[in-house]
Amino acid sequence: MIIRIRQACAAAVVTVVTACGGGDGGGAGGGNPPPPPPAISYAEAHRFLTQATFGATAADIQRVTELGYEGWIDEQLRLPATSQLDYLRTLPQPNSQPDRIDAWFQSSLEGRDQLRQRMAFALSEIWVVSEVSALSEFPQALSWYYDLLAENAFGNYRELMEQVTLSPQMGIYLSMLGNEKPDRARNIRPDENYAREMMQLFTIGLVELDPDGGVRRDAGGVPLPTYDQATIEGFAHVFTGWTFGGSAQFYQPSFDWLQPMEPFEAFHDTGPKSLLNGFVIPAGGSARADLDAALDNIFAHDNVPPFVVKQLIQRFVTSNPSPAYVERVAAVFADNGDGTRGDLAAVIKAVLLDDEARTPSSAEGTGKLKEPLLRLTGLWRAYGARAENGRYLIDGLGFVLGQAPLQSPSVFNFFRPDYAPPGEIAASARVAPEMQIATDLTAALTTNLMSIAIFVWNRFDETLGPETVAIDFSDDLPAASDPEVLVTRVAERLLGGTISTELRREAEALAALYPAGQEAVRVLEVTHLIATSAEFAVQR
Amino acid sequence: MSRIDRRHFLRLAVAAGGTFGLSALPGRATAAPDTSGYRALVAVFLLGGNDSFNMVVPRSDAEYAVYAAARQNLAIPQGSLLPISPATPDGATYGLHPSVPQLQQLFGAGRAAIVANLGPLVEPATKAQVLDASVLLPPQLFSHNDQQDQWHTLKGRDPLVTGWAGRAADLLDPDLATQRLPMNISIAGTLPLYASSGTEPYVVGEQGVVEYAGFDASVFNATERRRAFEAVLAANSPTIYGRAFNRVHQRALGRGDTARAALAQAPALTTPFPDSPLGRQLAMVARLISVRGELSMRRQVFLVAIGGFDTHDVQNQVQPGLLGGVGASLAAFDAAMTELGVGSEVTAFTMSDFGRTLTSNGDGTDHGWAGHQLVVGGAVRGGDIYGAMPRLEIDGPDDVGGGRIVPTASVHQYAATLLSWFGLDESQIDAAVPGLGAFPVRDLGFMI
Repeated sequence: MIIRIRQACAAAVVTVVTACGGGDGGGAGGGNPPPPPPAISYAEAHRFLTQATFGATAADIQRVTELGYEGWIDEQLRLPATSQLDYLRTLPQPNSQPDRIDAWFQSSLEGRDQLRQRMAFALSEIWVVSEVSALSEFPQALSWYYDLLAENAFGNYRELMEQVTLSPQMGIYLSMLGNEKPDRARNIRPDENYAREMMQLFTIGLVELDPDGGVRRDAGGVPLPTYDQATIEGFAHVFTGWTFGGSAQFYQPSFDWLQPMEPFEAFHDTGPKSLLNGFVIPAGGSARADLDAALDNIFAHDNVPPFVVKQLIQRFVTSNPSPAYVERVAAVFADNGDGTRGDLAAVIKAVLLDDEARTPSSAEGTGKLKEPLLRLTGLWRAYGARAENGRYLIDGLGFVLGQAPLQSPSVFNFFRPDYAPPGEIAASARVAPEMQIATDLTAALTTNLMSIAIFVWNRFDETLGPETVAIDFSDDLPAASDPEVLVTRVAERLLGGTISTELRREAEALAALYPAGQEAVRVLEVTHLIATSAEFAVQR
Repeated sequence: MSRIDRRHFLRLAVAAGGTFGLSALPGRATAAPDTSGYRALVAVFLLGGNDSFNMVVPRSDAEYAVYAAARQNLAIPQGSLLPISPATPDGATYGLHPSVPQLQQLFGAGRAAIVANLGPLVEPATKAQVLDASVLLPPQLFSHNDQQDQWHTLKGRDPLVTGWAGRAADLLDPDLATQRLPMNISIAGTLPLYASSGTEPYVVGEQGVVEYAGFDASVFNATERRRAFEAVLAANSPTIYGRAFNRVHQRALGRGDTARAALAQAPALTTPFPDSPLGRQLAMVARLISVRGELSMRRQVFLVAIGGFDTHDVQNQVQPGLLGGVGASLAAFDAAMTELGVGSEVTAFTMSDFGRTLTSNGDGTDHGWAGHQLVVGGAVRGGDIYGAMPRLEIDGPDDVGGGRIVPTASVHQYAATLLSWFGLDESQIDAAVPGLGAFPVRDLGFMI
């Protein structure tokens, strides 16, 4: 059975569990005093893991304090990718869309390769391919694409560019697959879709950038465009002649989604092609040679480091990085220290270890709003939520949260990196991309999902079906005999221990409404108030 | 002068500051805003760039031949076009895509108009001016989000972040203080059309207002739970993100209470709507309009949007469904407005990123520039085409390259015409539509 949260969250059906008084067990948890304070505090480790994983867990916090930030990252860099396609293949065939979402939760919630999976998620919001398209029928194909992002998450950006470009998923999504050389007699000229979006969204953007991400302008203050229509046409001619790998003929495709596209030279344009910065591919090149030259041409553009780096910082650390932060990480992208450009392992390390990421700041622009999906994974990972059948069969996530893995409404992602909500954020020339999907509608829906995840899908209810992804709150029951201790406990789990006076006061008051014997309700109410607060929704 | 050339003569007359198009009328806007009675605008955004050159097609042999030569395998068969008879003939005859019989009917009944060859501009532009770069143009032509942004903001080359409906809401705010919901309501999420410096749009779903489940009156201890939640929202967050998050929830709770109570009074509509994303969104707009009295609404702008119009591939297969869905949903909406007794108080209009290239990439089209738009309602001077129809010829006098057609009217003029009917006065129109002054005609004349 699939949990259909769309209906559940859109209709008011929450039944708050009032029975199940908590056990009285527990005691103070006692034990010996801890060893000398580690170099990294609990709060610091929690904050770091909120940036770098799908949610801080007690085990990961322990690991970070043992290894240090860099040691933890190095350990993560060595872990192989958890494959979503491999998981899908263990399920009854053919796979469904909810199977693919299940696979995403399996790797994102339970994968040890947390940093790699977070990077894959970030890349999936830059190199957007979406199930909301002709790809909707092919869950395995989409998981193959996501695996490709995960496998290249710590590789080289140039290699990622090539693998995505040649993926049949992107080929179908942005119509490079089947793109042919021009036929003037029939007024047919190459499809410009991939050429345009690949430059605009995946690599260099529309306007010339300084190394710190600032926009370059002409004497009149007008931003300098990176390319013009002729450049797009040049690349559109490059991207001709490709179809599914293993096809018998160009017009007789194999529909094999699980291998890269292959060229048919007869359909590739062999004329000269004008690309970026005055570079021209001479006539006569093969499809593959032209592709290599074109991707090299883009990869070498000065915009690539700041363009890519700023978006990665926005996905992991803060919506509004300082220009200096962007410039420092962009320098690592341009050269990892060994003369290599585009080393994503070095880049993510620079993103997370930068002073601006590691040193907490009280500045009001520090941090970011967490994506709704990451709020849900953060809650579930904090408590190790699981279904008895081990699956995460949840339908309707995109409607409820305004986002779901590989389900963007268009190639422009769920939100734009430069989205500025009206009000003080726009007025101060700052941005908050995730606010683009925070509307009156999704505010209620996402809150309702949290309400259901806490009040309904919990192990106090012994009648839950085996498919329900449920939280076991019993570890928090001992603390619930004292509202203050309980709030401290939940704040540690969800907020890294830092909680405002107001939130603490309200949470304690809410807990105190319930008499002894109703500790379970206290736990649920306190967890709910904290998990739906701005303090949980925003990472500092 | 051939028939098509007459169009070009008219277009050149526009560029020279002469009369506009086929049905130019003097501006109707007044010296003071008029927010009496009830009026609503319904923006229907066709995301991706509607190929409107296949939606309104020349039928007369000479013009059809030019079209068919350009469109090749993407041309709509001449015999299948649904004939229309514009009140102001231009010499050619025209037909609609065979999938939109409802639009043919609305056009014939005088309840729908076609606004021809619109697109984002900074100032009037001709092909020659575009090619020798002697005219200012909006940046990033042919890019989806940039051109959508032009339609929403009318920014031209300025760094403008507010939308024209958002600015209109700011301007009318003092006159609409008794309205119980914001003037601007979206069924399509957050789009820049509504961005403003003060007023905040309301976003609902196609099923309506979603209640906070944990605060539902039937739920145990809902009152205390909500009180605590609201107390936390009211606390001052130390970050801009926390404050924005809290503000969204505060708005959603307050407006949700208001809208839900009003919608509970909504009369049952007998007009059926298509069970499609656009049909459901417009049905929700109709429900909200049906409780305009309960909510004390006098001026409203609604926004709905559907995707799928970026037809790079298999255009011949998908276009009938796309256009047919628009036609059926707009006709249902118009009928519902008549049922509610506001058939002449509500005007629906389309917007889209851009028109598409006349050339094909084999089985689809690419991002173009100018395109045609539809305006539907009883206050529309329907049954006519407004503005000059372009010559649909590759490398012809209107093609700036690759089958991209230069617009003969700007989205500024389109917005100004709608806002004038809506009740903004002349100075408010200038404020809501900056850049309008670059164009010789303020009002395209398609509204009564």
